[in-house]
Amino acid sequence: MKRFSGKSLVVLVLLTAVLLSGCQPGADATPAAESSGIVIVIPEDPPSFNPIVADTGYDSLVMELVMLGLSDIDANGTVFPELAAELPTVENGGVVVDEDTGSMTVTWKMREDVQWADGTPVTADDVIFTYESIVDPEMGGWIPGIDYIDSVEKTGDYSFTINYASIYTGYLTQFGGEQVVIWPAHYCDASQGFAAWDCGRQPLSNGPYVLTEWVNGDHMTFTKNEKYFEEGKPSIEKITVRIIPDTSVRKTMLINGDADLNMWATEPMIAELEGEPNVKVSQSPENRWVVRVFFNLAANGTTDPVATPHPILSDLRVRQAIRAAIDVDTISKEFFLGYAKPAWTEFIREPYVCDIPRPEFDPEAAAALLDEAGWKDTDGDGVRECRGCETAEEGYVMEMDFHTYAEFGEPLELTQQYIAEQLGKLGMKLNLKVVEGSILWAASTDGGIEQSGNFDIDIWDDGYAGVDPTDFIYQYYAVASAEPDFGYNFMRWSNDEFEELLGGVYTLDETQRKQDFCKMAAILEEELPILPLFTAVNADAHSARLQNVQSSANDLVTWNAADWTLK
Amino acid sequence: MTTYILRRLIQTAGLLFFLSVLLFALVNLAPGGPLSGQGQSRHIDPDKVELLKRQFGLDKPLPTQYLIWLVGNDWMQVDRDGDGVMDGYGTRLGILRGDFGFSFRTRQPVLTEIGQRLPNTIYLTVITILVAILVAIPIGIISAIRQYSAFDISVTTFSFAGQAIPEFWLGLILILVFYAWLKNPFTGDPLLPSGGMTSIDVSGFDLGDRIVHLILPVLTGALGWIAWYSRFLRSSMLDVIHQDYIRTARAKGLSNWSVLTKHGLRNALIPLVTLLALDLPYLFGGAIFVETLFAWPGMARLYYQAALERDYPVLMAVLIIGAASIILSNLLADILYAWLDPRIRYE
Repeated sequence: MKRFSGKSLVVLVLLTAVLLSGCQPGADATPAAESSGIVIVIPEDPPSFNPIVADTGYDSLVMELVMLGLSDIDANGTVFPELAAELPTVENGGVVVDEDTGSMTVTWKMREDVQWADGTPVTADDVIFTYESIVDPEMGGWIPGIDYIDSVEKTGDYSFTINYASIYTGYLTQFGGEQVVIWPAHYCDASQGFAAWDCGRQPLSNGPYVLTEWVNGDHMTFTKNEKYFEEGKPSIEKITVRIIPDTSVRKTMLINGDADLNMWATEPMIAELEGEPNVKVSQSPENRWVVRVFFNLAANGTTDPVATPHPILSDLRVRQAIRAAIDVDTISKEFFLGYAKPAWTEFIREPYVCDIPRPEFDPEAAAALLDEAGWKDTDGDGVRECRGCETAEEGYVMEMDFHTYAEFGEPLELTQQYIAEQLGKLGMKLNLKVVEGSILWAASTDGGIEQSGNFDIDIWDDGYAGVDPTDFIYQYYAVASAEPDFGYNFMRWSNDEFEELLGGVYTLDETQRKQDFCKMAAILEEELPILPLFTAVNADAHSARLQNVQSSANDLVTWNAADWTLK
Repeated sequence: MTTYILRRLIQTAGLLFFLSVLLFALVNLAPGGPLSGQGQSRHIDPDKVELLKRQFGLDKPLPTQYLIWLVGNDWMQVDRDGDGVMDGYGTRLGILRGDFGFSFRTRQPVLTEIGQRLPNTIYLTVITILVAILVAIPIGIISAIRQYSAFDISVTTFSFAGQAIPEFWLGLILILVFYAWLKNPFTGDPLLPSGGMTSIDVSGFDLGDRIVHLILPVLTGALGWIAWYSRFLRSSMLDVIHQDYIRTARAKGLSNWSVLTKHGLRNALIPLVTLLALDLPYLFGGAIFVETLFAWPGMARLYYQAALERDYPVLMAVLIIGAASIILSNLLADILYAWLDPRIRYE
């Protein structure tokens, strides 16, 4: 017995040591919360304060609290200056276009009253430092349109010029928006590299708040930046961001009053929170994420729509029939609880809204289209076969794979099932497949389903960040983007007229752009390489005491945190 | 014994090497990857993909990637800026020299990431085990010596329930009851916090606050183990108390208590200790639900996230550490066995 208790003692000492080591992280807990603080709950730690590195959304959320870009975008899609004194345009002389070379020069003037939290002024040197860090070929990062830039030159302490090799329409938000901010040249260590530097996790603030503590996996604490340039702002003294992985726990905390903001509220959550007196939901006036059906115009397993056209989908009438057979209103009502808004074209956001009439839900017309295209059910098994169709061998069965991705969750999977059911009634057999997004979207070299052409139809959500759709449209519909891994035109769609218009929208002539985008919308409407169906909701839930919260499809909900107040 | 342990350790190293090759291949060859869709982006721009491949070292053939992961690249020329010209020696040391690389997600050294989380997981797991054992042992003993009593039958029922209830469901119900429904009658606050290790507004070390935060996660984590260990000890104890030497001890006139503790329990505990050592990795594995539900900043959550985002370096580090701990806990079980049971000798 003696020997045994001796061992127990050893074990006990060891355990105590382990326990004490476990107690370390709590030792530096924060002082008591001020009464005017709020709590934001998010499911995971932001990777850093630099959204360019991982673009999780959580990085942008905390970035907006502490860092400023040259400009940002409000919930209605209007660009406003942050570090800039004004927005450079052709009209105010800030943008000069050289018609001969097709290049442009943008001159930015910065505010002179913005300081870093250590009192150093924010100057053009910081902008140039940021640009040079991004373009470092070894340790830099990538931001949209960076390849258009030839050079950035300092023209004064608070002014600089960006020389573009060609017209870049997204110039206004290139160093702003939800992703890009200006980094302090005197504080960040360039030798650590833009993507990995320490100041990306311990930022020096020039925004409304200062990061005072970050306990990994647990919480982050932000306090008011006393040096913030906007007089009297922010009004809330302290923001705590707590990491709460479980969705239902976050929701319960909001209802219980232990959380003030739960970002990215989904449709079921909005519906559940509706009757809660202490909770409000802010919805974005515009929506970014359009749930859409993609068609593979090349045969499953191939990537060339000319050599190996898809036996079913390469016939436009089949695509039209599929569209006519999808009941968007029912999907919105049943699976998205009425929060999904119908969307049938790419151009639904200001300033590029095109007037395309909404297609009708008409299963009878759909059946007629399929009959006309030569797809008929002659053997009575409920599935149509090719009987005189132009795209497949006689007798080819109308059966296809229908993919979606799992991470979106139940509403999208139910939508997939419902569409398959509707098309099944029409005589089209769809085999449902649910895969991880990273497998669906991976490069063809990594076995990506879309890029390799290993699909027939799939459904998921996408939309462009910011206010300029040009690059997004290029990536999805340009001929160059149809090459596997060089873009996202995995429909392998091409249209000469569209291609020409696409070349023309790289201009600063807004009237021209609006016209051309709507001509493009008309071509897409005619050819239907993608079927936009409806927008998923863009909303954030917050406590009733928190005022001025405005959810935005153009940015994270913290975009205007400096304006928030407590009732 | 020393020779035996040494031999086992050498075997362990060989086994770990083999496992590392296997795991590296499995992790890297699984479809999808860190460069397919990133956070809010469904796709990554081809230019960015090229840059990230180079920065992550994914532009090299898989065997080279493994070699660099294992022994580093400070002995070979690397092309850092992608211009096709070598720019000097690399900076990676490889895991054999303690460099597990950096996380694709945060660009932080993997060991920093794990170092921030592992102590929290150990802290929770050890307390969970302690509670499980301290509750399971008396329950097991009483059910054994009072076999088929009302206590034994209710414990048996509870055991089946305890093993059958999934942790994620139990945890949610506990949060609902103790956080959302029941209130502290004096302050009106929730009776227990919904999660976290400490209250954010508590400064310094506050034992009470710590305990309050431990109740629900430990209860959720320990219930299944209490059920399992008490059942195990019950049958082990039943085996022992019907042995001849117990009868002999009683015949000698020893007190009932002395017979049970000295001759009964000690022998009944031996298989339990082995079982416990073998279960250790499972206890850590089970932490994923508890850590997620109770917002516990532990390593299981880190691993889960790394798996979702294909953060290869973090994934590999956790897998290798996990594999090592399974192999070592097996070794520990063997050694403990010999230590506790003098009849067992390894030669």
